[in-house]
Formats: sequence, C-alpha cells, structure tokens
Amino acid sequence: MADVDGARRSLEDALGPTEVLSDPLALILYARDASMVEGGCALVVFPHSLEDIVACMRIAHDHGLPVVPRGSGTGLAGGSTPIGDALVVVTAKMNRILEIRPEDRLAWVEPGVLNLDLTNALVPKGFTYAPDPSSEQTCSIGGNVNTNAGGPHCLAYGVTSNHVLAVDIVLADGDLVRFGSEAPETTGYDLRGIVVGSEGTLGIVARACVRITPLPPAVRTMLLDFETVEDCAATVSAIIASGVVPAAVEMMDHGIIVAAESFAHAGYPTDAAAILIAEVDGVPAAVEAQARAVEDAARKNNVRSIRVAMDDAERALLWKGRKSAFGAVAQIAPHYHLHDCVVPRSKLVEVLAGVYDIAKRHELIVTNVFHAGDGNLHPLLSFDRRVPGTLERVLAASEEIVRLCVDAGGSLTGEHGIGLEKRDFMPLVFSEVDLAAQACVRAAFDPEGMMNPHKVLPAGARCGDFAVARGTDAAEAAANLPEGSWI
Amino acid sequence: MDLTHPMDKFEVADVLAMATADRHRILVVGGRTHADKGNPSDVDAELWTTQLDGLVSYEPAEMIAVAEAGMRVGELDRILAEGGQEWPSDAPPEATVGGVIAAAANSPRRLKVGPVRDTVIEMEVVTGDGRLVKSGARTVKSVTGYDVHKLMTGSLGTLGVIVQVALKVRPRPPARRTVRIPGGLESALRVLEAVPNPAAVLATPQVVELRLEGWPEEVDGQTEAARRVAGTLDVADDGPFPVARPWEERPVVAEAAVAPSRLRELLGPPLDRWGALVGVGLAWIGLGSPEGSPDGELDRLRARAGVLGGIAPVIRGAGGLGDDSPPGLDVHRRLKAAFDPAGVLAPGRFWGGI
Repeated sequence: MADVDGARRSLEDALGPTEVLSDPLALILYARDASMVEGGCALVVFPHSLEDIVACMRIAHDHGLPVVPRGSGTGLAGGSTPIGDALVVVTAKMNRILEIRPEDRLAWVEPGVLNLDLTNALVPKGFTYAPDPSSEQTCSIGGNVNTNAGGPHCLAYGVTSNHVLAVDIVLADGDLVRFGSEAPETTGYDLRGIVVGSEGTLGIVARACVRITPLPPAVRTMLLDFETVEDCAATVSAIIASGVVPAAVEMMDHGIIVAAESFAHAGYPTDAAAILIAEVDGVPAAVEAQARAVEDAARKNNVRSIRVAMDDAERALLWKGRKSAFGAVAQIAPHYHLHDCVVPRSKLVEVLAGVYDIAKRHELIVTNVFHAGDGNLHPLLSFDRRVPGTLERVLAASEEIVRLCVDAGGSLTGEHGIGLEKRDFMPLVFSEVDLAAQACVRAAFDPEGMMNPHKVLPAGARCGDFAVARGTDAAEAAANLPEGSWI
Repeated sequence: MDLTHPMDKFEVADVLAMATADRHRILVVGGRTHADKGNPSDVDAELWTTQLDGLVSYEPAEMIAVAEAGMRVGELDRILAEGGQEWPSDAPPEATVGGVIAAAANSPRRLKVGPVRDTVIEMEVVTGDGRLVKSGARTVKSVTGYDVHKLMTGSLGTLGVIVQVALKVRPRPPARRTVRIPGGLESALRVLEAVPNPAAVLATPQVVELRLEGWPEEVDGQTEAARRVAGTLDVADDGPFPVARPWEERPVVAEAAVAPSRLRELLGPPLDRWGALVGVGLAWIGLGSPEGSPDGELDRLRARAGVLGGIAPVIRGAGGLGDDSPPGLDVHRRLKAAFDPAGVLAPGRFWGGI
C-alpha cells in the first residue's frame, strides 16, 4: 500500500517543501495533460537536478508510489495523465542546456529544455535540432524523447529516435544508467532505442545527448494551392516518385486554411480546397533541382498557383500559419480532439475521404493539417463538450477513424504516442504474443511495474515468461481507469 | 556440427521451439560476411537463414521495402534499383539483409545515410523458444508500443532470429563521385569543414577519400568546395567507395567508435593501417603483421578507445568484442531471459557474456 504521507515528508526533506505539492487544489492542475483524459495524483514534485530525480525515485520506490514523469504536459495521448496514488515528477525546472559541442555534432540537455529554446541556442552556431513538433515553443526535449516526437522536418531528417545519441535515465529503483553513447556505437543492446518512444514507462530521462544538424546553406519554402484534395495528395506522391525527399511537405485542407489565415494572416488562399507547404533545402544547386521537381509534380496535378517565399520573414509567415493551426481552431469551437495516425502515402486520398464521411455521419466539424510526406494524418474534430451527447459522438467518430487508418495498412500513432487514449487499440495491430514480448521489454527495465502504470500496453498484456510479481493487479488497474480512456 | 536450413519463418519457429526443449545451442548464420563480430560461442548447430529470401512487398512510392531476412543484399539492391532507390547498407552483395541488421554493420556513408537501425521500421523475429513476434509498422513514422526491432538490431543473434523486415529506403542518388585528396586525418577534417553535406569523408594515413552524391550540379559544387582547400585532387565518377582499404591488409580488423573529435587521439602511432570516417567517429583499424596475430596490439587499442569513451570490437579475424560489460547489465540479462529463456542462441557471443 502506498504511504503518501511518508513519501511527502521524505520528498520535502530531500528537495525542500516548496518543490513538493500535496494540496488537493494544486494537484488538480497535474491531473491531466493536453489529452481529454482526466486522472488524479497523490503528490507532485519538481526536481532541479539529476540527483533530485534519483532521490524522487528512491523515495517513491520505498513508499510504494507509482511514478508518472511529466515534461511540459503537452502530450495528446494521456501519457502523463496520472492515476491513483501516483507521484508526478515534473522535469520543467530542469531546463539547462548543459553543453553544445559542434565538433562532435552533439548537445547535452536537461529534460525540461524546450524544443525551440534548444534550436534557438544552436542557430547562432550554425546548427539546428531537427525534430520540430508543432508544439516546439512549449514541449520539452524529455517529452520529445519519450514520445519519439516528429514534426514537419522529420520527412527528410527522421524522427527523434534518429537524433538521440544517449540518455541518462533513472530507473524505478533509483539506479542511474547511461544508454547509448557520444560515440556512434557502444556496448550492449540498443536500450537507447527502446527508451525513445517508451512514454515514461521505463524510467525518467534525466539528461539527453542529442545530435545537432548543420543548418542547410540554402532553403526554399513554397506554398502550392489546389482546387481539389485529390490533386493536392497526388502531388505529394508525385514528388516522392520523382526521387525527391523534400525537407517538409505539409498539407492543410480548406477548413484549416480558413481558420489559420484569420489567425496568422499568412496570405493563404482561403478559396483553395487544399494547400501544400513544401520546403526543400541543401546546397543552392540541390535546392534548385528539388524545387524544380516539386513544381513539375504540382503542375502535372493542376496546381492553381505556386508562391515562393522571397525572404526569411515570408518563410516564417508561411510556417506560422501551419504551426499555429491547432490554436487557430479555437475559432471553430471551444474544444478539439486531435488525432494522429499514419497511413501509406498512396492511401491519403481514400483515407481523407473516409475521415470526412465519418465526421459528417456524426455531425462533427473536421479539419485536417498534417505531415503529408510521411502519410501522418492529424484529423482534428472541433466541438463543444458542454452540448449534451457531443462527447459521445466525438468518441464514436474517433474510434472509427482509428479503425479506418489501421484497415488502410496504417499505424495507430505516428508521433503522439499510445498513452491511455489508444492502449486498448493495441490489439488491432499486435497479436497477444507481440504484446507479451513488449510487456517483457517493459518488465526488464521495471520488474515491479511502478513506472507510469496503465499506459501503452492494454491491461491483459503480460510478460508470461517472467515469474516476477507485478506491482499492480490488472483488475485493479482496469477499475481505476478514468472515463474516456478507451478513446 | 548440425545444420538446419529452414524454408520459412514457421520452420524457424519449429526449429527454435525444439532447440529450447532439447537445450540445443544455435548460431544464426546469414551470408557469413559479418560472422567474426562477437565473442566466441560454443554451439551445437548452425541455422542458415538463406532460404528465407523472398521479397514480400515493395512500393517505390512508399519508400518502403519488405523482405525476408535471408535475402542477399545484392539481390535487394537490384530490386530497389528498378524503383530508383537503395537501402544504403553498402554491405557485400552476398551478405543477407538480416545479417547486416543483426550485426548493425556500418555503411561507410553513415555521415549522410545514418546507422542501419534508423532504416528498420518493422520486424518479425522468432524468439529463442520459437515465438513469432512482430513490432513496428509499415509506415515511415510510428510510435506504437516498444520497438522490439531496435533491441534485435545489433544483437548478434542472441535474442532471436530475424525472419522479416520492413526497411525505409531512399532515392538512389543521380550522381556519385569519389574525390581523392593527398593527406591524412588533418586534411580530412579540413575537407569536412569546407564541403557541405558530403556522403563520407574517409581519412587514411596517406589519402582522403571524399564521397559525394546527389544532383549533378550539387556534386559539382561540392567538388569545387573541396578543390578550394585541397589543391590537387583526383576525381572518379561512379565507381566503388572506398577505393583504398589499407585496414584490409592486416589479418584482424577492429571497428573503433569514439566521439568524432576523439579520432585524432585514437589514431596515433604505431597504428598505420586504418580508415576513419571523420564527422562520424568510426575507424576501421588493421592489426597484426601480414602473417601473424595482433598479440597485445588489440588490448592496447581497446585501452586507448576506452579512455576516450569508446569501444573497439573486432569485425574481421579473431578478437571478439572485448570484456566490457554494458551499462544496465541486469536489464540486459532480463531481456535475454525473456527472449531466449533456455539460453540456446549463441550463448556468450554478446557483450557482458550474454
């Protein structure tokens, strides 16, 4: 049984009383992340150092509290929504960039460093940090590591996993271990690769060593507009088929164009059915060649106009509309539910048509802004949850969208994670044996099941070959789940 | 030594279920091109994967190829070339896809194409006790559950038998060029500084080989950038890379890995047969006399790499991985116990005696 009072006293002794929250009103603020799922917790703590994290983990371990790591709380899948008597460890105050080493093309950062803050520190040195989620102004590197975050530029540069060289991670029993290395190869299994995308279920990342990427000598950003969604999606496939992998290819449909334009005033054509924001980079000659291929592909698919950003200011403006789209939808309705699934590029048109149909049948407004080059869809359902019956319709539509993407050969999530929201969909894509193997991986790091319990794997998934008692009983876990967690 | 040569993944599963029941120890063998990597392991049988050689699916527009693990790298390359694409392993054509992944073999173009682990997006693997496990997804992005395929990549066949993989492939560059420049490591570092986005800068004791690839205009521009720092250079379009492989003149080759800025300290005398990927931090180092074993040379190299925070496993000849234990040894042991409960897969071949 968890000894919350004992844990609170020990944490206050170790980190100081100001760094521990136990007041019920304060705890409510940490009962959820940016998803729709609401939970609850026993204590919240704010470590300032790697040593503080070790202390938090030892205290939680000794007092029987499950631990939920939290960065900026911008997660969309409930990955840092706590449940029951959990200790929420917020890494937001660990926000120092420890070291930037251009000669080794790496940087060491604390987990609370914000994504854009890292990029801004690198640009004057001629480098960037490639993964750039739309929430880059507020999301943390620790959170990015745990969700294997993406972003528009992952098309050419790869997802977070490709950019994490090493992690210093504190395991559930308080052990501090480094997985990965500053060197390109190291000893052992690729546990760095397992930690990336593990949604805080294996330990707390206390430091990360990330790869930094030289800024490209030249960049060209283009806005392409189309009268039909089909032409727009066909252009994406035609670009890839021509042998060009642009730095980014983002697609926005009519609804989101209108919302983003009235917010960002980027000059988006509000009468277009769909637009692409395509960016190519490299040495000037490569930029020319790639831009030509993009324009050719668009012309073959009836592009209406092509606007090329003439300078950095215009380029920033084109991106501002894209990156602020999720904020701009507040004009449509007070609440939204943002989906994340990946389908083969060739299925984009078919899946989008299906998404529009699902929304129509459930009388919901859907808009789409997404990483078209990766086939990574983000259907966004706008609604007012105060209207009775609306939330139920959103949930029903959401489930249909997930099944539609899986049936098209897709994945449950491209960059947001499974968390609580999608864990019970895991059997749609994995067998019981697959899930048991994954449970074994988890148990190898955390035999007692104290790290972010109930997330990622459905309640039945167990590591059959481990004779280790789990910290939480599956039935109890199911009973404790908050409403709506099956989304 | 027994030999088993299964036809498909289900036969692999049967073989391993029996092996576990009988405590029959198995070495997984693909094209045998990377077989020297790993510590010595006593086994009772070899399992050859080379009959699992089918192409499962390939859609160039998706930039994803799905192949059985025993397919030869040369055969995959021929198929992908028809789609204008490549899987940038640069392994010998007789190597198998699964073998390259299990050995986490490095491409000399790693600076541009990244490590092999970044290209594996879905995998089917048979565990030591014969369970068929899938992870990942056939999409270029996925964060769906734990990436068991990351665990298998570089595991040297000690956790399971890779039977099928989905690979992220890339456009085949329209132009390729090797530029040879006199000089050693210092020249290579100047070239790395001066040339934007090269595919590789390989330093050897006497010559630097700069590999360029991309659009013809791009490659021309990069060549000009190299000329400004190099003075004389020798240009060959297409053709092999690397041309010079001095490390192969010795019986034992170690693949040292250090942070890129530490290469200079690693490669001092008496080492004289090496090639180093600057900007990456990998170096292939030839050891021993032309006729003989390296004696204490390997230990001294490992000690030096260790001081620099790196490693130096042998990839050709005798010498194994070395005695280093990986961090989180308990986690490693629990993983081994979960995926190979009877310990039949090449016991002792991996780091830490696993």
